[in-house]
Amino acid sequence: MVRQVKQKPMNWVERLYVFEALRGLFTTLKHALRGLLRYETLPTVPYPEMKPEIPRNYRARHRLMLRPDGTPRCVACGMCAAACPAHCIYIEAAETEDPRIEKAPARFDIDHLVCVFCGLCVEACPVDALRMDTCETSYVHPKRDDFVAPMFDLMTWDPKTYPQNDSQSQMAPGGTLNQQALDAWGMKVN
Amino acid sequence: MMEIIESKHWIEWIITIAKFAFAFVPILFILLLIPMERRGAGFIQDRQGPNRSYIKIPYFGRIRLFGWVQNACDGTKLFFKEMFAPAGVNKWIYMLAPAIPFAIVLISPCVIPWFAPMVFEFGGQVIKIPGMTVDTEVGILLLFGLSSLSAYGAVLAGWASKSKFSLLGGLRTSAMTISYEVCLGLCLMGMLLLAGTFRIDEIIAWQDANVWGIVAQPVAFFCFLIAMIAETGRAPFDVAEGEPELVAGFHTEYGAMQFGLFYMGEYSHIGINSILVACLFLGGYSIPFVSMETVQSNLGISLGVLCGVCAVAVLAFLHLLYRYARWYKTCKASNKEVILREYSLYKILGWCAVVVFAVLGVLSAVFIHPEVQMVNGEAVYGIGVALGTALIQILVLLVKAVFFCWVWIWVRWTLPRFRYDHVMHLGWKILLNIAILNLVVTAIAAKLLGGN
Amino acid sequence: MSNYYNMPKLPTENSPKVEIFVDDKAVMVPGDTNLLEALKAVGIETPHVCYHPYLPVSGNCRQCLVEQEGPRGRMLVIACYTPVSPSMKIYTPASSERVKNARKATQEFMLVNHPLDCPICDKAGECTLQENYMEAGQNESRMRPEYGKNYHGNPAHQFIDSKGQVRGGKHVDIGPRIVLDEERCVQCDRCVRFMRSIAGDEQLQLASRADHTYITTFPGEKLDHEYDLCVTDICPTGAMTAKHFRFQKRVWLLSRTPSISMDDSLGANIWIDHAEGKVWRLMPRCNPEVNRSWLSNTSRLAYQNFQKNRLPAGDIDSLKSVLAKEGKVALVAGGSCTIEDLTALKLLAEKLGERAEIFTGSFAPVLPADGIAKSGDPVANRAGMKLLGLPTGNLEELLKRAGEFSILLSVHCDLFENAEAAKTLETIPEKIALSAFDDATAKAATIPFGVNHWSEVKGTMVNCNGMLQKLSAAPTSPDSNLRPAFSVLAELAGISLSCACEAFAMAGKNAEVLSGYTYETIRSTGVMLDGVQL
Repeated sequence: MVRQVKQKPMNWVERLYVFEALRGLFTTLKHALRGLLRYETLPTVPYPEMKPEIPRNYRARHRLMLRPDGTPRCVACGMCAAACPAHCIYIEAAETEDPRIEKAPARFDIDHLVCVFCGLCVEACPVDALRMDTCETSYVHPKRDDFVAPMFDLMTWDPKTYPQNDSQSQMAPGGTLNQQALDAWGMKVN
Repeated sequence: MMEIIESKHWIEWIITIAKFAFAFVPILFILLLIPMERRGAGFIQDRQGPNRSYIKIPYFGRIRLFGWVQNACDGTKLFFKEMFAPAGVNKWIYMLAPAIPFAIVLISPCVIPWFAPMVFEFGGQVIKIPGMTVDTEVGILLLFGLSSLSAYGAVLAGWASKSKFSLLGGLRTSAMTISYEVCLGLCLMGMLLLAGTFRIDEIIAWQDANVWGIVAQPVAFFCFLIAMIAETGRAPFDVAEGEPELVAGFHTEYGAMQFGLFYMGEYSHIGINSILVACLFLGGYSIPFVSMETVQSNLGISLGVLCGVCAVAVLAFLHLLYRYARWYKTCKASNKEVILREYSLYKILGWCAVVVFAVLGVLSAVFIHPEVQMVNGEAVYGIGVALGTALIQILVLLVKAVFFCWVWIWVRWTLPRFRYDHVMHLGWKILLNIAILNLVVTAIAAKLLGGN
Repeated sequence: MSNYYNMPKLPTENSPKVEIFVDDKAVMVPGDTNLLEALKAVGIETPHVCYHPYLPVSGNCRQCLVEQEGPRGRMLVIACYTPVSPSMKIYTPASSERVKNARKATQEFMLVNHPLDCPICDKAGECTLQENYMEAGQNESRMRPEYGKNYHGNPAHQFIDSKGQVRGGKHVDIGPRIVLDEERCVQCDRCVRFMRSIAGDEQLQLASRADHTYITTFPGEKLDHEYDLCVTDICPTGAMTAKHFRFQKRVWLLSRTPSISMDDSLGANIWIDHAEGKVWRLMPRCNPEVNRSWLSNTSRLAYQNFQKNRLPAGDIDSLKSVLAKEGKVALVAGGSCTIEDLTALKLLAEKLGERAEIFTGSFAPVLPADGIAKSGDPVANRAGMKLLGLPTGNLEELLKRAGEFSILLSVHCDLFENAEAAKTLETIPEKIALSAFDDATAKAATIPFGVNHWSEVKGTMVNCNGMLQKLSAAPTSPDSNLRPAFSVLAELAGISLSCACEAFAMAGKNAEVLSGYTYETIRSTGVMLDGVQL
């Protein structure tokens, strides 16, 4: 469907260009003076020394959520891999010893060089096992292969760096709700 | 030979020769313009601009000079890069082309008056020294002639590069330079008509006596400014360059210091043009509402005021510095210790400068009382007074020029680029007509009001 | 016993056409079948769970409800067990809200205690319940979460999970090849009917009553039959899953290549399910005249060896130099040679002239046909050999006259597997083995030469019933240098064949009956060759 966008016709003052140009000059002058006199309000920051505040809902590096006992919550269903438009997720499934858990990933790789950070995998996950709220936006590796994050890397995160109201994260080992969750899970580790 | 030498007093010779140093003022403008352009562009676009290069000195650590060091880095890089030429070019022309605009930049300032003609009494003689390096009746025409020559640089570069991009860029540049030269000249004609001379110092004198050019010829000023920007080939008139069409225009095939010469030529050109606009329309070295006689008769107080202005400027700088430092103390930057240490150097230097300026100002206001002699009914002062006045006037001119430099940058980062045919349309069909109309109206008005 | 049901009558090409009214529109449908098949014949799909065209009809799922105009008004009847009668009036969901609601309700009811396992269920993607669910459009659950799902199956397998829900029977080891998930079972009893009526060994049974019904074996027994993996195919849910494919690959990632199983002369039609250049499973491909929907475990599990122990491609010039030597040549074709391979072999024999002699067959014993999907003859293309005028099953003669030959060229034929044959044939000085696998013959051969396996080649075969069937090449060759056997043989014969279709055209010259066909005209279910003496 072709959508016709109607532009407001310019009046003759605007068509003269001169006054509009002066208005533009005034605008840029405001910005220049802001940079000079109120340097601290610049939206850009000197990057490596100062990092921007990244909100929790920013789609950053992935992580695998953990059960209270530290195993990945992932059930290796492959929904994320199916949803992934870049085909960057590789999963191998396996059976588990735990009778209550039918299927678990034996391998869960995300190739971050291929990933387009669309977040569809997070949407697709039926058990909330995959999240992109690590706020890690830059990762540097010496080799291409290192950008393929294996399951262990995705599972390595610290509940202390996540907010208290994120109860799902706090149920992981080391989190504040871990003991409570372990009791409910029925696997007291002692 | 001896006659020529003896025709002038030795002090006159010294000052005349010393005036040649003014040829380097436009080149010094580059040092100011490049950081101003870069960080100004940054601030206009809500960015930081380049501020990373630093010099390491003992105790104070990394000195960034607010991005000023970037100049040195760029220069060093360009200087040590390999100079190469594309295969099959005419090497002589290829090498010569970048030198032309740069050479013109060195010659052009010869007709610009840096101070009012000095008249002073020395060794029993009354000595008169004009403010420009070359004291000629042709004046501004020489300047125009020289700046038109810079088109040769572009054309030769474009032709010698053996590249279609370069050739087209060179053609466009020359076409545009020539088109806007016409406008430039015609815009100026009104001003020349009013002042009745080609000599810039006389135009300034007329402005000092009557009213600034910007008030007398506002339309001409405006057109002149546009034509000047166009002539330097900068945005919004940078049709000679353009990534999608012409790559970098006539200097596509140039690298290293050859490119550096073009680059410096462009910025120096801006410097010269800024000075010219300041001279022609902003009263040049004249201080508004203060006549030269007043300055000369109260030189001590004048210098005191100058020092005071400088001290206030340094205080304003210190104020900004303290504000930045206060912010850095509270922010999360990992390098804030480094930056605060760097700032401590600036603070020390700034306070020293404030003290020096304050002391100098007070001393000059208290102790300098010029002695006046009456020669042929005119008040003539000593050489000290003349030099002091010249210093004040040079500074005034440079302040006005720097303001226009900022206008150049400001316009570049504000207005969108014009298409080539629009540029030509604007030049030939609009600006030229306005300039002619302005000339006619000025001529009639001048005649009616009984000017010269 | 009331558990024995009638087989459905399926429409054939010769079925009489009768006029019935579907949604008040007159349509001509096959008259000697049930309503479900009749509607399918005119393009109306009816969702069904328990009905299977090759299993007796039990009609217990009630998913295929349609409305029929009767003497007492419009009544809901099950389409799978209602015979077509002339001028009957049928209403489908297209016109009847009642049918739509009834199906929806049946669907919802079936899913009440069906676990939300789809993400980890191997059946997901090819699950009848999923298909029906999407069709019924009951997209919002009316289940109250505080009640949750419940488990009513075998009480012995019940447990309570961390959320306090009663669950159970998640992986019941029901046999050596099958895992049962009692939660997912919807008691359609397809597997029970299959084992009873098709396999003929009633190993599965429905136990208990009403919504406590569950599938089980007799006490102390296991589900262990040559055809037991078929229950995983017919199971409409993920209740029966095969251990060999469990959690290996999500089915939507698999690509399917239609082919023929070349380890039996019935030539069971199969799907080769492959992904990433690997065969993940073989599935039966429905062919009413050959194997219906069934596939024996032997054929089905053969894929596990397709890519193991493969022979690398050899140097064809050394083959040429060996064949250029003096002496008699024995050309031996194995059972899995396609028509194309045999044609090329024949061309090679013609080129070698007098000194070449062709032998075919296998040392493996011929077993009796089981009447489901196996004829028992290990020489799959025996009919094709006859068709091309090659001798069949004369390997004994080769053994007797082994001393005459100085060159032995075997194609897809593991001669040295048989100890006696190995001893005899060892005396032949030059032994060439064109084989997919590094088997005993390849090991004993002086020049082993790797070729494509039958799953990786395009070709044809004639099964024991005289049906010409088509093999397609699955892109699963482990080495891109490997070539099909016919291509190697043709090159040895000095003929260049750019594709299998040219070899098939050559075969047409040798066997008149094949000359009328091309790969395009052979249907996916094969064509019956007329007037072939087998």
